[in-house]
Amino acid sequence: MDPHKAFADTVPTPEEARQEKMDTLIGYILQIGVLLSLVLIAAGLFWTWLRKGRLELDYRITGMNLFEFVANELRLAVDGAVQPRLLVNLGIITLMLTPFVRVAASVVYFLAVLKNWKYTLFTTIVLAVLTYSLFLS
Amino acid sequence: MISFPILFLVSVVAGFVGAMSGMGGGIVLIPTLTFLGVDIKHAIAVSILSVIATSSGSASAYTRDHITNLKVGMFLEMFTIVGALAGASITIVSSTKPLYIAFGAVLLGSWAALLFAGEETYHAGEQDAFTRWLELEGSYPDYALGRVVHYKARRAYFGAPAMFGAGMIAGLLGIGAGAVKVLIHDLIMGLPPKVSTTTSNLIIGVTALAGTSVYLVAGMINPGLAAPVILGVVLGAFIGTRLLVRLTNLAVRRFFLIVLLVLAVEMIIRGIRGA
Repeated sequence: MDPHKAFADTVPTPEEARQEKMDTLIGYILQIGVLLSLVLIAAGLFWTWLRKGRLELDYRITGMNLFEFVANELRLAVDGAVQPRLLVNLGIITLMLTPFVRVAASVVYFLAVLKNWKYTLFTTIVLAVLTYSLFLS
Repeated sequence: MISFPILFLVSVVAGFVGAMSGMGGGIVLIPTLTFLGVDIKHAIAVSILSVIATSSGSASAYTRDHITNLKVGMFLEMFTIVGALAGASITIVSSTKPLYIAFGAVLLGSWAALLFAGEETYHAGEQDAFTRWLELEGSYPDYALGRVVHYKARRAYFGAPAMFGAGMIAGLLGIGAGAVKVLIHDLIMGLPPKVSTTTSNLIIGVTALAGTSVYLVAGMINPGLAAPVILGVVLGAFIGTRLLVRLTNLAVRRFFLIVLLVLAVEMIIRGIRGA
């Protein structure tokens, strides 16, 4: 909802207008990420049900970091091994990447649009720590 | 293996109660999963993964309504994610008994917070130089008041380390710990209640991601659990927020107080006896 439409007496400064565009951008990143992940997981489950007549998944994800996990799944996909588990795993991956992409987009926005060095630095620190944690082994 | 319908149903209820009470899904989900025979560490791992979905889902709506304060969120995130990494790492190496007891203690804390919860009050205060330097202020459209509310945060130097602690609880126990974050925003940093709850939602998403990454590496993300839990909790939370029964109803509040107390005592007993 646009607050300036709701309350006509407030006129946004250019700075505020750019900030509000950022709110909208981040809102959509989060929404699309979560929805896509839910659709992938639901589709994987539905496919499992079509194949096996049940909804329980009996495979495991061995301990690995997110990037190994992504590489692993992409390799399977390229090999043509598109199975229900691939969809469920891609759903989990999408879910985990959603906040990550949100932070990455914030870095770019603070840097390129708002030109706010303080917050470019803060969001870069967040992105660095997250990247480190996703590369843990 | 627990059947899909049972896991799904339990998760819907957990998501629903979590959204309705504002406590988040994990508080009910984790004890229930352990009662069903799931190892507590696996329950924690799947819960924190599902927290990414529920918090990002609601955060998306709040940011687009321009209520969330992105700068407050992004400043405090630096501290919660490090806390979550530390907390999750402790859980991985911890034995299960202390986890039950810690979870029971957090449930008791939530119970007490709910019992003594008063009217939401907001007092504007003087902003300090550090918080001003951080640009932690903003405005949001208050549709109930029919005007745009301007506010300035304060005491970021206390808020930041406190948020490290909140992140640690989140990573350690697999919950969003939104109640703790909201308390910090309200009491320490003097944010208006609407801004503090919505901004906490944004922070919870990345914090949960940091925690999840540790559990993923440890091989504790079980897709057989994750799939029904994620779908169920999100559906439950969706219904819960749409109904908007925000514990104003006395009967709902009493019911939730009893549920929290029973779960807390049960978890502590299991922690002492050994699960």
